[in-house]
Amino acid sequence: MRTIEAVRRSGVGIGPERTIREAAGIMEQAGVGALAVIDSDLLVGIVTDRDLVRRGLARDLPADARVDAVMTVPVVTVDADADLREAFVLFRTHAVRRLALVRAGQFVGMITIDDLLIDLAGDLADLARPVTAEVIFGHHDNPSPVTISN
Amino acid sequence: MRASVGDRIVIRGHRVGDPDRVCDVLEVRGVDGGSPYVVRWGDEGHESLFFPGPDAAVEHREHASK
Repeated sequence: MRTIEAVRRSGVGIGPERTIREAAGIMEQAGVGALAVIDSDLLVGIVTDRDLVRRGLARDLPADARVDAVMTVPVVTVDADADLREAFVLFRTHAVRRLALVRAGQFVGMITIDDLLIDLAGDLADLARPVTAEVIFGHHDNPSPVTISN
Repeated sequence: MRASVGDRIVIRGHRVGDPDRVCDVLEVRGVDGGSPYVVRWGDEGHESLFFPGPDAAVEHREHASK
């Protein structure tokens, strides 16, 4: 499975010169918790609602401070067409909840741990169903093979 | 997804009770109507880049204006 196929949400991006007030407004209007920061088509950072609080509000930054003053860099990226197992490895080796998906070096979307957990929960439920049925209802003995003789 | 300037993009809510989000396409940065798009959120909202995922659907201009 390609990583891009596991993405569940649209991605939203802004320029580094935008203000943290604007970033917060876009997050609210778009219903997202993170924005890709893109400068001249290049992904230069990610700003999350947590960044706005910890690096903005908590440090008394003015609301018109640039978003690149609070964004997270460097960004952990994965190729959009890479096997999903690569994303699992990156989540395991980096303390991040989101990975930026890139194609030919350009941002195309974001995948979160939540996306993967939802997929995994569905897969586990599918796997557990026959086992649960067997525990509850027991084995069904197959009828003996029937031999037809002329 | 293919969109044109003036089209509307609707992003469905992800949880029960979440409202749908709506933005208008101001500029198409991709090739042949592809993403990314410069969009505006709401009538007087902020502008941003938008990279559509499986939660987004485009309402083409003639349909969106009805």
